[in-house]
Amino acid sequence: MKYQIEVNQLTKAFANKPALNGVSFQIKRGEIFGFLGPSGSGKTTMVKILTAQLLHTSGSVKVFGNDVRNLQNPEQMKRIGILTDNSGLYDRLTIYDNLELFCKLYNVDVKRIEEVLEEVNLLQDKKTAVKQLSKGMKQRVTLARAILHKPELLFLDEPTSALDPTNKQQIHTVLRKLNEAGTTIFLSTHDMQEAEDLCNQVAFLHNGTIVELDTPQSLRVKHGDSTINIRLKNGTSVTVGLDEAGSNAIRDYMNNGELLTIHSNEPTLGDIFIKLTGRALQ
Amino acid sequence: MTFSMRRIRAIITKDWKDLLKNSYILVSILLPLGFAAMLSRMSTDDSSMLSMPINLALVMTGAFVQASMMAEEKERSTLRVLLLSPASTLEIMIGKSVLSAIITLIVVIGSILISGINIPELFYFSIMILLSLIIFISLGTIIGLISRTVMETSIVGLPILIIFTYGSMLSSMFNSPIIAESISYLPTENFSSALVSLQGSGGFAEIKWNLLNMLLWAIGSVILAKFIYGKRRLDK
Repeated sequence: MKYQIEVNQLTKAFANKPALNGVSFQIKRGEIFGFLGPSGSGKTTMVKILTAQLLHTSGSVKVFGNDVRNLQNPEQMKRIGILTDNSGLYDRLTIYDNLELFCKLYNVDVKRIEEVLEEVNLLQDKKTAVKQLSKGMKQRVTLARAILHKPELLFLDEPTSALDPTNKQQIHTVLRKLNEAGTTIFLSTHDMQEAEDLCNQVAFLHNGTIVELDTPQSLRVKHGDSTINIRLKNGTSVTVGLDEAGSNAIRDYMNNGELLTIHSNEPTLGDIFIKLTGRALQ
Repeated sequence: MTFSMRRIRAIITKDWKDLLKNSYILVSILLPLGFAAMLSRMSTDDSSMLSMPINLALVMTGAFVQASMMAEEKERSTLRVLLLSPASTLEIMIGKSVLSAIITLIVVIGSILISGINIPELFYFSIMILLSLIIFISLGTIIGLISRTVMETSIVGLPILIIFTYGSMLSSMFNSPIIAESISYLPTENFSSALVSLQGSGGFAEIKWNLLNMLLWAIGSVILAKFIYGKRRLDK
């Protein structure tokens, strides 16, 4: 089986209003796939369809090589992990009690709880009731729950939206580690930096349609303007092309000791998204 | 189809831990016992009043505790998380019902002891209680699934509480043959009627139609609960 997820000409309409229209993509085993789009673009709808919480209107959706409806089989559910936009935690119970339930449901040794809590930096709070946690801490508990059973395929819907930069960095480290161990990750986010940091492949979703799909590096090259920005010691900035004239100019600035910094003018994923859709990823 | 006692036990254990910290449910458990104590001080010959402490225990604890537990799972999106786990629909339904059934049974026994109701035929009475538990826990599941919030279960469930518990009173209030006929088909009315027959030294022959009525209610309410669960488990 080459692909963990195969989506072909998918459409989803709510009361005849299309939310997703003609969406197609494939995700290989071991990939981190970024599904980027602003709020309301259809990202959560896509996650719900891929996890069999929502039926699609037309097209085909395969997960692990089978129709997505196979995921309704509890045995198949063991193979996936899901972090949704809604925490779904038991507020009156402690973090430990919440995770203990899922250890038993997934037949995972309870020793694993301490491991995952360590990874998401919540070990010292394990006896705290969920209702006493901040939004960011709840988000880390839901991630801990999603990775408790080391799933083959992990769906993350805005996993770090409520986190501070330090915890976001830590979660990214956890996700990379999981990915290195073989977990395929479907990451739905509007955080372009997160997508740049983590993803092997990204899709830009706009008005329910994928407007671009490629690796972040290829997208930057494709949408870059092939220029280099030079900052000189006298405070001025100069833009030169990637041609012989540009090369000569850089050499001269260096020989004269005028050069301070040099940067390629690659656009960020956010810049590319705005260029393609005319709106920001918020 | 998978079936795991371990997963069912996990859901029951979680519900038990949660219930001990849930004051709303603890009050719902204590209220029928208070009513039983109150009714035990009233002297009446009305047959429906004889079984009222039991019916109240079944409706208030069986239906309402189950309804609020289901509605809370829905309201907090925890039911969705359970559905996205390896637990099957059957395991979730059983896991979510066993604790309510045990608590209701304890409250029913407590209500009987407090109100001093005479139980003449334990075998038939146990069958009646078992069928009633199935009926009211299924009705509680339905109320919980169709309510959007825990608070809404009170609004949705109130007509059920009134009709099922005070059916015979309503019947005498309206003095309408159609209402009286309709109310006579309620499981609570058949429970009361069967209890009176058993107390009057009646046996299976006297209560068979009451048992059949309750059996049909039990089957119908389980089917309806399963149907509504199937409808509500997925997003539209």
